[in-house]
Amino acid sequence: MKPERLEQLDKIRERAEYVFALAGNPNVGKSTIFNRITGMGVMTANYPGMTVELNLGMTELDGRKIGVVDLPGTYALGAVSEDQLVARRGVLQGRPDVVIVILDANNLARNLYLLLQFLDLGCPVVAALNLVDQADKAGLHTDVEMLAEFLGVPVVPTVGVRGDNLDELMHQALDLARRREEYFTMPFSYATDIESRVRKLARRLEGKLEEKPYGISHRALAILLLEDDEEFQRALLEEEAGEELASYSRKIAEEIEKEHGEKAALIIARERHGIAGSIASNVQERREYDRPRPGERMWEYTTSFKTGIPILLVVMGLLFLAIFWGGGALAELFADFWESVIGGPLNSGIESVLGVNMFSRSLGWAVDGLGAVLEIALPYLVVFYLILGFMEDTGYLNSVAFLTDRFMHRLGLHGRAVIPLISAVGCNVPAVMGTRVLSTRRERVIACALIVLVPCSARVAVIMGGVARFVGWWQALLLFAVIFAVVIAAGLLLNKIIPGESAGLVMEMFPFRTPSVLNVLKKTWLRLKDFFLVAAPLIVLGSFLLGLLYESGWILELTGPLEPVAEWWLGIPAVALLALIFAFLRKELALALLLVLAAQAIPGVTADSSLLDFMSKGQIFTFALVCAIYIPCVATLAVLWRELGGRDSLIITGSTVVLALLLGGLSHLILLLL
Amino acid sequence: MLTEKMEEYLEALFKLSCDEGTLTPTRLSEYLGVTPPTVLDMLRRMESEGLVRYANVGAGKSGRGRGEGRARRAISLTTKGQRAARTLVRRHRLSERFLTDVLGLDWESAHREACKLEHVLSPEVEEKLAEMLGNPETCPHGYPIPDENGQIRDDEEIKPLCDFCADEKGCIDRVEEEEPQLLQYLASLGLMPDVDVEVKEVAPFGGPLLVKIGDTQYALGREVASKIYTRKGPGQKRHGKRRMGGGRKR
Repeated sequence: MKPERLEQLDKIRERAEYVFALAGNPNVGKSTIFNRITGMGVMTANYPGMTVELNLGMTELDGRKIGVVDLPGTYALGAVSEDQLVARRGVLQGRPDVVIVILDANNLARNLYLLLQFLDLGCPVVAALNLVDQADKAGLHTDVEMLAEFLGVPVVPTVGVRGDNLDELMHQALDLARRREEYFTMPFSYATDIESRVRKLARRLEGKLEEKPYGISHRALAILLLEDDEEFQRALLEEEAGEELASYSRKIAEEIEKEHGEKAALIIARERHGIAGSIASNVQERREYDRPRPGERMWEYTTSFKTGIPILLVVMGLLFLAIFWGGGALAELFADFWESVIGGPLNSGIESVLGVNMFSRSLGWAVDGLGAVLEIALPYLVVFYLILGFMEDTGYLNSVAFLTDRFMHRLGLHGRAVIPLISAVGCNVPAVMGTRVLSTRRERVIACALIVLVPCSARVAVIMGGVARFVGWWQALLLFAVIFAVVIAAGLLLNKIIPGESAGLVMEMFPFRTPSVLNVLKKTWLRLKDFFLVAAPLIVLGSFLLGLLYESGWILELTGPLEPVAEWWLGIPAVALLALIFAFLRKELALALLLVLAAQAIPGVTADSSLLDFMSKGQIFTFALVCAIYIPCVATLAVLWRELGGRDSLIITGSTVVLALLLGGLSHLILLLL
Repeated sequence: MLTEKMEEYLEALFKLSCDEGTLTPTRLSEYLGVTPPTVLDMLRRMESEGLVRYANVGAGKSGRGRGEGRARRAISLTTKGQRAARTLVRRHRLSERFLTDVLGLDWESAHREACKLEHVLSPEVEEKLAEMLGNPETCPHGYPIPDENGQIRDDEEIKPLCDFCADEKGCIDRVEEEEPQLLQYLASLGLMPDVDVEVKEVAPFGGPLLVKIGDTQYALGREVASKIYTRKGPGQKRHGKRRMGGGRKR
C-alpha cells in the first residue's frame, strides 16, 4: 500500500476522537454504507474487489468527530492477496477503536468467518447484518438477537442502499468505543485440543514476551503463529525471546498437524468455518426453499457458454456502437456549446485584456486544450462510463470475467483482468488504476502493458476523424483490427518472456442485482471527476507550453532532424511526426496539431485544408497507426509511474515507441509494395 | 494409540462412507450392532485422537431452528483417520486373499479370520504378503485393495475438480499442498477438504468452472481446480454396480 495512505490514516487519528473501520467480504455493500455514513463518494459495483485501497472519511455523531476507514473487501485477514494485505495494514496499523463488520445476510456462514477472525485478533466488533431486504425476499430469516448472543457482539440489521438503521449501527459502535473497557470475552472457543494448545502458547507468550507486535492480545498472537503467519513470525523473531518462542510455537503447530494429519493453519480455518456454519444454521431459517433469487435465471444464461458467448458478443458490439454514435453525437453538441459559450468568449476575453501577443495566443492554446478535453474526450467517456456503470451494477462484468478467463489466461492474465482492459477503451488512466484488483505484480505489469495499447477515446477520435473520415470506414476497421491483434500478440509475448506463472482465477460470482440509476449516474460522475483531476491539468499545462513553442516559431526548427525518420522510414511528412510527438500531451491533439503545423510548414496548406491536400490516404493510415500505438499520453505515463514504479513504466513506454515505429515502418513498406 | 475397537470403527466408517456418504451415529450403531450410547462414547474418544470429526456438516445450507440442530450432526473421517482406515482395509483384504487362495478357507470364514488378522499384521508382513500374492487388486469378494500408499487403484472417485462435469457433485478430498498460499486462500473461502461442492458449469476449451459451495458460487480457473482433488459426492455410490451389504458381515 502507498505510504501516503497510512499517513492520512494517522492524520485522521489525530483529528478524530474515535476511528471506526468498516470491514466485510467483497460485495456486501461496504462502500455503499461508507458513502452513506461519510457522505463521500466511493465507487461501488456488483463485483468483488472494487475497493482495493483504504478509503478514509470523517463524520460527526453526537457532536463527536469520528474517522471512518473503509477497508477493501476480503474473505480473510491473511497475507495472501493485495486486498487482504491492505485490509490487514488498515487494521493493524490503523488501530481502529471499533471494527464494524458488515455481513451479507444472504451468505451468513461464509461472512461470519471474517468476523470470527476479528474477534480472534481481539478487536472490538459491531456487526451489521446487511442486505436483509434481499434475504427477506429470498425467504431467509435471521434471528438477530440470537446471533448477537452467539457472537457476543452487538448486531444491527441494515439495508445499506436505503440507509436503514445505519444511525443505530453508528450509535452502537460509538457506545462500544466509549466504553473502551478491556473488552474481551471470547464468546466461542475452538475444539478442546486446539483451544488448549492455543492457550498454552498464549500463556508462554505472556510470560516471555516483553512487547506484543502491534499490541494485539497474546491469544491473537498465538493463533496467528499457529496459522504460520509470516509477518508475525518475523515480528516475533525481532523480540528478545523470539527464537525460543518461535520454535515453541512450531512445536505446538507440529503437534496439531501430527494429530489431525492437516496443517495447523488449515485446522484453525476449519474450526472457524465450523463455528461460523453452526452459528449460521442456528440463527437462520429459510422459509421457502429453492426459489431462485431474482435475476438468477438471466444470470445463468450469461454464464452458460452456449448462450453466454453470443450475449457477450452482442453486448460488446452494442457497447462500441453506442460509443461511436452516442459519443459522436454528444461530441458535436459539446463542440458547439464550447465554441459559442465558453471557449470563444474566453479567448476573445484574453486577447482584449492582454492584447494579441505571443503570450495571449499561448494562453489561447491552453483554453483550446481544455476545450478539446470537453469536446473530444468527454463525450465518449460519458457514454462509455454510463454503460460500464450499468454493467458493473447488474453484475454482468462477473459473467464477462468468467467467460473470458480462458482467453485471458493465454495472455498471462485471468478473467478479472478483463474489467480494467474494457475500461481502458474509455480512458487508460482509470484502467491502469483498476489493475490493483490483480493479485500478482506479474499480472499487473502485463495488464498495464496491454492497457496502454488499448485505444482510448482520444485515440479513437483520431482514428475516426482521420482514417474513417478521409480514408474510409473499412480502413478504420482494419486499423482497429491491427491494434487488436497487436494487443493479443503483446499479451502472448509477455506471458512467454516474463518469468512466473499466471495466477489462477478464484472469484466469487454474484447473481444479478437491479442496478440503481442514481448509483450509475453518481459513479459516472466520480469517474469523470477522476479523469479531470488527473488528465485536465496536465493537458492544459502541456497545451500552454506547446502554444509557446509554436507561437515563438521554434517548433518548426524541430522538423529538420525528424525528416529522416519521418520521410524515409515512416513515409509521412516531418510535420506529421512532429504532431505525433507533441500528441504525447494529449492524443486527440494529433490531428488538430497536424493541420496547424502543416499550414505553417507546407506551402499552399491552410488551417482549413483537408488532410488529403498534403497527405495520401496511406500516409493518414500510417499516421493514425503510429498515433494509436506509441506512448500513451502524459497522464497515463504519470499514473503508470505511480502504480508500477519508474523502471517498468519506462520499459513499457519505450517498448510502445519502438513498436509504433516498427509497425509504422511496416505499414509504409506494405503501402510502397502495393 | 489405536485400540482394536477403534480400528473396527474406522473400518466401518470407511466402508459406510464409501457407500452412503453422510454418516450418522444411528447408522453406525446399526451397522456395528451396538447401542447408540456406546457409539457416541467411542466417537468422542476417536475425536480426541483426531481420527474423526463429529460436527455439524453442511451447516448454513438450509438453516433450521435450534431444536433440530442435533439431527444434522454427522461423522466424517479426518485425513489421519482415512489413512489409518485404508491401511486396515488393505490388511483385511490381503488377509482374505491369503486365507482363500492359499489356505483354501471359504469366504465366510476367511472374512471372520481376516477381521482378527488385520489388527496384528505388521507393515513388513503386509508387504511380504502382498508380494507373495502378486499384489492382488481385489479381495475375494471383488472389492478393491488399497495399495501401499492407501490409494485405491483405478481410483475413479478421487479426481481433480477440473475433471468434473457440469451438475456433478462431490466432496473435496485434499488440496495440493505445495502451494500453502493457495491452500490458505481457498480455506478462507471455505474450499477445504470434506466440503461439498457442486459443479454448475464447465467452460469448454479449458475454461474456468462455476462451482457452488453452500450458498455461494465461485468461478475457479482450470489450473486452480486441477489442484483440488475431489471425490464424487455423498449420496452417490462409489461403485455403481456393487453395493456393500448391510450388517456387520465383511
